[in-house]
Amino acid sequence: MSSLNEPNKNGRTWWRSLDEVIATEEFNTNLKGEFPEGASSLLATGDDRRHFLKIMGASMALAGLGVTGCRRWPKENIVPYAHRPENTMPGIPEHYASCFDFGGISQGVLVTSNDGRPTKIEGNPEHPDSQGATDAFTQAAILDVYDPDRSRKPTYEGKESSIAAFKEWIGSYFPKNGKGIAVVTEPSSSPTFERMRRAFMKKNPQAMWVEYSPLANTNQQSGLNSAFGGNWMPVHNIANATTVVSLDEDFLGAGPTQVPNTRGWAKGRKVDHGNISRVWIAEPSLSVTGSKADERNAMNPAAVATLATYIAKKIAHVDIAIDGAPSLTSEQHAWADKLIADLQHAGKHGLVLAGVSQPASVHYLVAGINEKLGAVGTTVSYRTVDGDSNATISDLASAMQNSSIEGVVLLGGNLAYDAPVDLNIASAIKALPFSIHLSHNEDETSKVCKWHVNAAHWLEAWGDGTSTDGTICIAQPLIQPLFDGLSASELLAILAGEEVTDGQTMVRATFSKNADQWNPAWRTAVHDGVVANTNALEKPPVNRKAPSGGTVVGGVGYTACFVPSGTVWDGRHANNGWLQELPDTITKLTWDNAALVSPKTAKELGVKQGDMLKVSVGSNSVTIAALPVPGTADDVVILPLGYGRTFAGRVCAGAGVDIYPLRSSANAWTASVKVSATGETYPLATTQMHFGENTTPGKGTQERLPLLFREGTVEQYNADPAFAQHVGHSSHSLSIFEEQQFAGAKYKWGMTFDLSTCTGCNACVAACHAENNIPIVGKDQVLMGREMHWLRIDRYFAFGSDGHGGYDENKLSSVAIQPMTCTHCENAPCEEVCPVAATVHDTDGLNTMVYNRCIGTRYCSNNCPFKVRRFNYFDYFRRDPLRSTGLLQVQPDYYVKAQSGGKTLRAMQFNPDVTVRMRGVMEKCTYCTQRIQRVKIATKNAWVKKTDAQKQADQRVAVLDGSIVTACEQACPAGAIVFGDLMDENSRVSKLHNEKRSYEMLEELNIKSRTKYLARLTNPVDGAVKTEGGHH
Amino acid sequence: MTTVPIEKLDNTGEDPRQRPQLIMNHTDFGSVTTDILRANESARAPKSWYFALAISFCMMSMLGVLIGYLIFTGVGVWGNNNPVAWGYPIVNFVFWVGIGHAGTLISAILFLFRQKWRTAINRFAEAMTIFAVICAGTFPGIHVGRIWLAYWLFPIPNQMDMWPQFRSPLLWDVFAVGTYFTVSLLFWYLGMVPDLATMRDRATSKVKQLAYGIVALGWRGSMRHWHRYERAYLLLAALATPLVLSVHSVVSFDFAVSQLPGWHTTIFPPYFVAGAIFSGFSMVMTLAIPARQLWGLKNFITMRHLENMCKIVLLTGSMVGYAYSMEFFIAWYSGEIYESFAFINRAFGPYSWAYWIMVSCNVITPQIFWFKKARNNIAIIFTASLLVNVGMWFERFVIVVTSLANDFLPSSWGIYEPTWVDVLTFFGSFGLFMTFFLLFIRYLPILAIAEIKAIMPIADPHGHGHSYYEFEGETDEQAKAAEEEQ
Repeated sequence: MSSLNEPNKNGRTWWRSLDEVIATEEFNTNLKGEFPEGASSLLATGDDRRHFLKIMGASMALAGLGVTGCRRWPKENIVPYAHRPENTMPGIPEHYASCFDFGGISQGVLVTSNDGRPTKIEGNPEHPDSQGATDAFTQAAILDVYDPDRSRKPTYEGKESSIAAFKEWIGSYFPKNGKGIAVVTEPSSSPTFERMRRAFMKKNPQAMWVEYSPLANTNQQSGLNSAFGGNWMPVHNIANATTVVSLDEDFLGAGPTQVPNTRGWAKGRKVDHGNISRVWIAEPSLSVTGSKADERNAMNPAAVATLATYIAKKIAHVDIAIDGAPSLTSEQHAWADKLIADLQHAGKHGLVLAGVSQPASVHYLVAGINEKLGAVGTTVSYRTVDGDSNATISDLASAMQNSSIEGVVLLGGNLAYDAPVDLNIASAIKALPFSIHLSHNEDETSKVCKWHVNAAHWLEAWGDGTSTDGTICIAQPLIQPLFDGLSASELLAILAGEEVTDGQTMVRATFSKNADQWNPAWRTAVHDGVVANTNALEKPPVNRKAPSGGTVVGGVGYTACFVPSGTVWDGRHANNGWLQELPDTITKLTWDNAALVSPKTAKELGVKQGDMLKVSVGSNSVTIAALPVPGTADDVVILPLGYGRTFAGRVCAGAGVDIYPLRSSANAWTASVKVSATGETYPLATTQMHFGENTTPGKGTQERLPLLFREGTVEQYNADPAFAQHVGHSSHSLSIFEEQQFAGAKYKWGMTFDLSTCTGCNACVAACHAENNIPIVGKDQVLMGREMHWLRIDRYFAFGSDGHGGYDENKLSSVAIQPMTCTHCENAPCEEVCPVAATVHDTDGLNTMVYNRCIGTRYCSNNCPFKVRRFNYFDYFRRDPLRSTGLLQVQPDYYVKAQSGGKTLRAMQFNPDVTVRMRGVMEKCTYCTQRIQRVKIATKNAWVKKTDAQKQADQRVAVLDGSIVTACEQACPAGAIVFGDLMDENSRVSKLHNEKRSYEMLEELNIKSRTKYLARLTNPVDGAVKTEGGHH
Repeated sequence: MTTVPIEKLDNTGEDPRQRPQLIMNHTDFGSVTTDILRANESARAPKSWYFALAISFCMMSMLGVLIGYLIFTGVGVWGNNNPVAWGYPIVNFVFWVGIGHAGTLISAILFLFRQKWRTAINRFAEAMTIFAVICAGTFPGIHVGRIWLAYWLFPIPNQMDMWPQFRSPLLWDVFAVGTYFTVSLLFWYLGMVPDLATMRDRATSKVKQLAYGIVALGWRGSMRHWHRYERAYLLLAALATPLVLSVHSVVSFDFAVSQLPGWHTTIFPPYFVAGAIFSGFSMVMTLAIPARQLWGLKNFITMRHLENMCKIVLLTGSMVGYAYSMEFFIAWYSGEIYESFAFINRAFGPYSWAYWIMVSCNVITPQIFWFKKARNNIAIIFTASLLVNVGMWFERFVIVVTSLANDFLPSSWGIYEPTWVDVLTFFGSFGLFMTFFLLFIRYLPILAIAEIKAIMPIADPHGHGHSYYEFEGETDEQAKAAEEEQ
């Protein structure tokens, strides 16, 4: 229990225990005196965690050591602080900057800690990528810390062991010089990890070092290597681009750079001198970027490569022949010519991006095009990255095959699950004399390894990293590791035989040589989470070495595209219930992946949603449910990775189908496949229904879409900025009863959603989950239509006419992405019908839900025109999130079952400011009323201290615009959500409400929504043509 | 007493000059009492009664178990979801309230309009009303999320100084159904007092004497008793008459007051009342046909009674049909896309099967009653009344589910599928209803004995040369001769 009896070792100095710094002796004596009787002897007994837990009731007394130094299980005992840590008020959350690695890029975060429990993750405003925003993965990461399926102990050959035993084993058995050892890591941007790698390689020069991630952009690395020599990474500044051309690159979709890309793109979509940026995309699947693009062309991945060579030929005058690349159709040619003209017109404000599926030669060409456009420095920059692997995963596999490898050390990752199928990694590892796997959960790889070491979550460990532009970031732990895990750097330090293996000292030593000395710069860096002025962008040398064209697959038969999942990524988030239940932006699918095909291809294959398809590459095949998605290229099967985990935990058990068995070293991103319908069906839990082409509901949707989701071209906007207000019915504001009066209101809360910039990235939905203690309901309940998301993102497809009075699903004309949550109507229909007055207005205009008063008649939900109310049909927090439930739908608490002491690990994540709702009550968006209250209280307290004259001037006790930030608004990387006080004429939200682009949804019902939408603006090449379908 | 095969007598004539005979084959009061109470007073009920009671009781127990399961597990055991937050429970509620509608109509309105034929059916129609309202009341009570707090729907003074929200139609429902139930119960009980006294007087065991004695409230049959009784009965009938219109109007407000396309319609109150009478009379027929067979009451519930009810079913069925078409017309005429979609979707959307079941059962089936042959054919009447019951259940299903399933935003559109709990709970409510009904026909007077006697010709001797018997084929002379014989 290093944290308790050796306080000097684990991260306390930085915090707040001045006592300890000033009077160490006395402090320690006092400290011991304050323990309950016998506690100090218990503490001295060492690593017995259970023993420790028994005396946790005393830990309040220990809090003087620094709140963050302790594990904080929920407690029944109420003990006052004997020494309250400076600046700590029980019940007032604190925020700490930190960071973590995702795909080799550090994500900056600001973590909220409630009485020592991290409960919510926000973006770090100081971090150059985040600037306060996050993606959905980051929002959901908080749940992983409290995952009841986390591994709690190191195991050796499946038997429980300990860190001490592991260290002892390393001391006696680990080979010297690294002969016969291979280390496999995930991409890491951590300087400390890099330092440890060097230390390890110095001691073990013969070791094999492999960096592997199934979704690493190796094609780009090698393409840029050909272009510039060395290891380079592009850093895009999309805000500077007026024309963006994406060659199957979903730059707005999930990924390590989603946040900065989205922010940059959103900046370009603000009308500036009558102009907005234009995005062109050619892609096989309908991606998030594709749904927001102005010009989209669905084509198979091979045709995209052809398009790339065509653009390169025209702009950069470089010609590389790619095997298998088909020739473009005449329509595609015409489209490409327009694209090229637009790109040339944009010049240095043009930007071309290529996707991970494109061969290295395309990435090489793209680098050339951008350079020719003069874009380097304006829209794209580069920086070097550490890339010191001395072997690839294939080298490792062949080394294991010929027995030149004795053992492997796997630092994270999940090779047994996600390595290319042709390498047979799992069985090779199993056959090795020794293998060590560091992981957060016991997964498929832990199962084949001799040693499994439980990893500390990044919220429990010290660390560092590098943002996209090279800025160094520092990670600090928010909580002592709940189960004594190690970070990858710590484990590597142990293997390297370093003297110092403690995370904080290691990170500090990386930061500056004099780690033991008082260093204000270090304190600032930890506080800010970033080290100022460490940006490392540079202009790469031109060192061309034209690569071979490579081969692309497509054009003949069916082509499969392997894409990362927008919800579980490569499978690493599979056991996160929030992400499993997060509806995919485009498909709205939860809890599963599916084979996405175009409606035409589905018809050819004779399948509809939920019909099983057998997809085979050579002798390997998977059976997966089909899901027709308009906008998908014909004859292409999109297969999202990351599902079908076999050994990962209870949440993801049975979720989806594993696609990795189709993925080999040669066919990592695309493969020629055989597809056939099996005749079986499978239930797919989508949160939006598909009613079929030209059915009554389908036609009804098309008919009302222009009213609900208003969009126009930028030309239309320039001609008539209020075009969106001229759609649909005008409101008549006659009421047959007295409307809500709001007498004496001091504030008037309101919100706007900008449909122009919302990409549907789901960050807000996940943030809402985390902030408002929203339960997950499981697949069976989603199938019944009972998902609980307070904030949802509606997705509609607009189609072109089929010429017979209907519409044609093969003619996708627009994708509507529309966030929807309670609009806090002033004439709220829900309030009229509640028989027990459980939903009422407060004077500030919030439509509040009084959970205690609610008896659950559900009439409010029926009368809500937006259907944003959510009902607790069960005690969802008491339900097993497994996919099927028995007769007794409520099972003994899943979270209780999973751990000792009857304490709920999961409950530690709960936001203490938000009620956890029981079954039988209705709930819905509150505009984050707890956040409003916090600011209101602070404002009022400050107001009281003002002079009379000041008070007179501010009778309303106005809150500063922007001081109240809802969880969704805070997470949004595009800044599409704005919340504020409509009574303040200068607030952002007031201005947006008055903007001509704004409109009220279902205004004709005279409900007077407080949430308005800003109509979407698009910028197609021929805007005038598109307007003819205008909705007047 | 001689018995004549019932088939040979026809009292269904349409000639207005001839007053039809409403009680067949009985000329004296004593035999009427004996015949009506024969089944009640026999030591053993017919075997089929025991059989029916056993099944009904099992179904009622199943209902109890399911409600227990519901309370312990959560209302999620039903198929309700978002957007369809009301499913079977509310459909069943409206269905049962509708059935409960015929009782008051028969007992109050037909009484005020001096429709003498009502006396043969009013007692069990009222009983049916009471039991149907009990079934109806069960559903809103158990359909709320926190059943243990359902009493918050009542305006009970409390320490929180918290009243219900009076603008909510659900609260109006509580009052409307509550009033209806209270008045119906009083009406039913009051009307039964003289008959209970008869049963007391004829009781053969001490227990029966005591039990009927208590509920008979000391009725002696004195002129003063009768005088008070008839005044009270008339007053209650007058009080109950507006309830016939109010209760289902208020139930329809649950839908009409909301703003959901397909619910938000001004036609709902009259349309619901017509529908309720329609379904109520069908249920009366459904119950009367087997009961008159089983209890030997064909002399009292005659073909003429059934025929009259068929005519009412035909009338109200056509009114309902008119309402269906008018809804479509208004939806089109409003030019409102949400409204017109709601109706097109009902007929051609995912629930079109339910819509067409509704139309064929409620609009097409009753049209057969234009034909006298059909009105006089027991098998056809029984089948048609069952179909109307089915159709009226589907009407409520169509209204509740299709409107909710596809409202304003297509993103929230969903499909509602009932679970096994939904279906069995609905069946269970029939168990509850039938158990009560079977106990009623065994232990309480199934027909209003005293009232029936009052409409017999013998109760109204005119003398002075007027006819005694006003039915086909009999002259005054014959009648006099018959009287002299007696």
